[in-house]
Amino acid sequence: MNVMANLERKLAQDDIKISAREVQVFYGEKHAIKDVNVDILDKTVTAFIGPSGCGKSTFLRCINRMNDTIDAARVEGKIVLDGEDIYDKRVDPVQLRAKVGMVFQKPNPFPKSIYDNVSYGPRIHGLARSRSELDEIVEKSLRGAALWNEVKDRLHEAGTGLSGGQQQRLCIARAVATQPEVLLMDEPCSALDPIATSQVEELIDQLRQDFSVVIVTHSMQQAARVSQKTAFFHLGNLVEYGATDDIFTNPQDPRTESYISGRIG
Amino acid sequence: MPVMWIVLIVLMLATAGFVLAQRRALASAEGDARRLHSRPAYYGWNAALSALLPGLLVLGLWRMAMPPSAVMAAAALIAALAGVAVALRSTNADFRARNRVEQVVRGLLIVCASVAIATTIGIILSLVFESAQFFRIYPWQDFLFGTEWTPSFGGGSELGMLPLLWGTLYISLIALLVAVPIGLFAAIYMSEYASPRVRAWVKPAIEILAGIPTIVYGLFALVTVGPLLRDWIAQPAGLGDSGSSVMTAGIVMGIMLIPFVSSLSDDIINAVPQSLRDGSLGLGSTPSETIRNVVLPAALPGIVGAILLAASRAIGETMIVVLGAGAMAKISGNPFEAMTTITVKIVGQLTGDNDFASPETLVAFALGLTLFVITLALNIFALYIVRKYREQYE
Amino acid sequence: MTDTTPDLVPAPATPAQNSLLVADARTRRRNAAETRFRAYGIIAIGLAIAALVWLLSTIIADGAGAFRQTYATIPVTLDAAVVDPKGNRDPEEMKKVLTLSYDKLLITGMQDYLAQEGIQIAGLSDQDVKGFLSDQAKANLRDAVLADPALVGEVVTVPALTSSRIDGYFKGRVTAEQAARDSKTSPEQLQLADALHANGALETRFNSDFITNADASETRPEAAGLGVAILGSAYMMLIVLVLALPIGVAASIYLEEFAPKNRLTDLIEVNIANLAAVPSIVYGILGLAAFINFMGLPRSAPIVGGLVLTLMTLPTIIIATRAALKAVPPSIRDAALGVGASRMQTVFHHVLPLAMPGILTGTIIGLAHALGETAPLLLIGMVAFVQDYPDAPPAGLMDPTSALPVQIYNWTRRADPAFFERAAGAIIVLLVFLLIMNLAAIWLRRRFERRW
Repeated sequence: MNVMANLERKLAQDDIKISAREVQVFYGEKHAIKDVNVDILDKTVTAFIGPSGCGKSTFLRCINRMNDTIDAARVEGKIVLDGEDIYDKRVDPVQLRAKVGMVFQKPNPFPKSIYDNVSYGPRIHGLARSRSELDEIVEKSLRGAALWNEVKDRLHEAGTGLSGGQQQRLCIARAVATQPEVLLMDEPCSALDPIATSQVEELIDQLRQDFSVVIVTHSMQQAARVSQKTAFFHLGNLVEYGATDDIFTNPQDPRTESYISGRIG
Repeated sequence: MPVMWIVLIVLMLATAGFVLAQRRALASAEGDARRLHSRPAYYGWNAALSALLPGLLVLGLWRMAMPPSAVMAAAALIAALAGVAVALRSTNADFRARNRVEQVVRGLLIVCASVAIATTIGIILSLVFESAQFFRIYPWQDFLFGTEWTPSFGGGSELGMLPLLWGTLYISLIALLVAVPIGLFAAIYMSEYASPRVRAWVKPAIEILAGIPTIVYGLFALVTVGPLLRDWIAQPAGLGDSGSSVMTAGIVMGIMLIPFVSSLSDDIINAVPQSLRDGSLGLGSTPSETIRNVVLPAALPGIVGAILLAASRAIGETMIVVLGAGAMAKISGNPFEAMTTITVKIVGQLTGDNDFASPETLVAFALGLTLFVITLALNIFALYIVRKYREQYE
Repeated sequence: MTDTTPDLVPAPATPAQNSLLVADARTRRRNAAETRFRAYGIIAIGLAIAALVWLLSTIIADGAGAFRQTYATIPVTLDAAVVDPKGNRDPEEMKKVLTLSYDKLLITGMQDYLAQEGIQIAGLSDQDVKGFLSDQAKANLRDAVLADPALVGEVVTVPALTSSRIDGYFKGRVTAEQAARDSKTSPEQLQLADALHANGALETRFNSDFITNADASETRPEAAGLGVAILGSAYMMLIVLVLALPIGVAASIYLEEFAPKNRLTDLIEVNIANLAAVPSIVYGILGLAAFINFMGLPRSAPIVGGLVLTLMTLPTIIIATRAALKAVPPSIRDAALGVGASRMQTVFHHVLPLAMPGILTGTIIGLAHALGETAPLLLIGMVAFVQDYPDAPPAGLMDPTSALPVQIYNWTRRADPAFFERAAGAIIVLLVFLLIMNLAAIWLRRRFERRW
């Protein structure tokens, strides 16, 4: 990639990475997501906020088709990633998830070593040609997740032996190692203490340089701290979507205003 | 049956005690039940239990120690009467009848819980006691390391255990080779792939196999599987002409163990947290990669425990080998030959008329002890692993 | 966060090279592996179900014949000179006439019938006619006469059991070629069977004797029945129910609700878990050594079998009961304790009734296991040949009996292949009992299933 192209990429920050049109989700009889339209930008942190049960996590799981794993869930509408409809029946969800990584609410390291946790994705997707390349990816990813210095001497110890904050950063490193283009984070700090939370938030800000990050959070302060764009969900509807500053200082919809001023939620 | 009559009389005494104590308690409170410490029925129960327990205890102990007699009847009735009398004497409004009754009931609960320990002690005592008799007349080295099993009731028997142990282990191995892959893959499919509707039909269907008595499997081995293997495999291949064989017993036992392996593995696989599956699927693994790389390694200790429990089942299984394996004690590698197992020989030496002084009969207890020790070790180890595994995800 | 060097984060792969709409080679390979893996699962389930179907269908095919039996209906003249030589119709006197004499009456009756109907079979010897009917037929005839002396001198047409070979001929078990080679059967007998069948004097019909009769000796499988075995099993189940249910429930209540966390409790728990996995034959050794040799209880008696099966079933019942007690939410206990109930009252008034369906389900399943258990019963002498029905309990609990699974085992040990049919038939009876018990358990579970 030459310098010009690099520059172009930087300039094209407003590129639309994902656009969702009229997305509906049903859990059995329950209509969980109603008519959501949203455009998510590349190299941007987008926060989904809203009261619990508003559908923000459900919608997040639509973006990498994790809802496929739930028997009762049914998704309608269109979600387009880089111009391709991810619900097209030719799309293999496995390939999609390699492109759209995910970090979960509760840290869920595999009961394997730290090294094996991080190298798992590259291994199954065949990203490394040799052991040394794999070592390189593991190191890069752990550095990227700001965990390298803490674990470099115990890469072959169990990932489950780390503290909660370290486990979550390990899960982020694991997601990053697969070299995704979009990183979905489902309340990644809800199980962490304040210090670990601030570490992860700092990390999210770094990740923005390389990925499109979508984060679900129920903490409005967190959304304000880390995101550039914010979407407010309420009862399955996307109520308001815009620049984070606008949403928090000048909400257009009375429901958004009630929520951010603490009257509902 | 005089014992029955004594029991009936003690029961009547208890009933009388119940009524009297209840009346006496109410009388002592001048008919106002609210002034009593406990509800009136508790005073009744106290008196009834005071009659029943001493009476039946005397009866039971006596019956075990010596033959029934008139003295026994008298002793039991006196004990019951004394119990009622003491209970009635202490019955008054302030007596804490409920606490007393609850103490006694609690004691009874403990006694019932101890039946488990008593059973184990009984098993160990009967095995060790009779085995000691055996080893007094037959050297233990010859039993443990002997490779000849030729019992003859005329004397001069060779009672080496190794051929029986070999047959036992060989058959168990074949059974596990059948049951573990089938059971494990069935469990994986049911817990990870099958829709709830399929699972609702398939799981109970496979568990029917677990509810079928082993004698049924035995007859199946004897009448169906044995001749089939002999006519289609063993004879054409020149491997033998016996319907009873290690293969016959092993395959049928394997079928019996399928539900055992599958339901234990199913539980264990389901105990692996969903978050681990999500983590792996979220990285773009296929379901089978998730199972092989994440779910199974996480469940491995539990599955090993399940397989060990299945192995213990196989080693202790009796009817299938009695009917399917044959009675020839020998050490051979050919699975189409008839061989025999520890359990077959226990049955063989202990059915019919026994002479409990001859080594040929007593050896069965030594075999029983060997079997008990092997299965106990396997069970304890397996239960330990499974328990450790459960704690990990609790 | 000093070690954050964003430059080292792997750059995102360029979008162009991997369109989501086209599966790349690696994905195709991985998906093929996925399909194979799924197929292994389906094959495993298929094999398990196939084994089940194979097992059940062979047993049913082999055993169905046991419920039908071939009888010859021929007129027999009960010659008074033979059955009642003194002529006073006194059953006590008539008991002195042995079954051998009745055999002659049957043979004469058969030959007269053949002559009268004009059935002629070349080479049919007297021996063939004698062997055509079961040894049991003459005994049955004698019993009938002793029960009703008025029959003496009359011509009666009682259905007489045919021998197992003739019966087997009508069930497809015996063929003419086999009969020619078999010393106990001759082709002439089969011709006779065909002729009688054509005449309507031979019929194969439902055989209730199979359920109610006692076992019969080696030479007359056609008369063997399950009556004693069913009674013996029923007695043992009664003992197991009366002992194991209360003891098991009491033990579970103690362990689940009262036991302090100490070494003794741990010991009991480990013990129960291990007892559940002890091979059943070891319980047989315990029964032999403790109940028969040490306590001097009689061999072959339901009381010993019942005690052994009780000890064997206890762990199952305890494990099920504890699960049922555990399933009752603590809030119920708190509610009862909160209104001043003692812990004992809480358990007996609230927890136990709520856990009852689960306890009963576990008990029924434990009983079903005990009903099918064979190995321990072999060691306590239940293999003995028993032809007498036991008395009613409690005295009958000391009488020698058989048990259903042991009867099956006994029959598989006998030489005549007709006994295999009986064994498979007995398995059908056993499986029907088990099916009923399991359906009852399922019904209980469905009927009282509670969601908290």
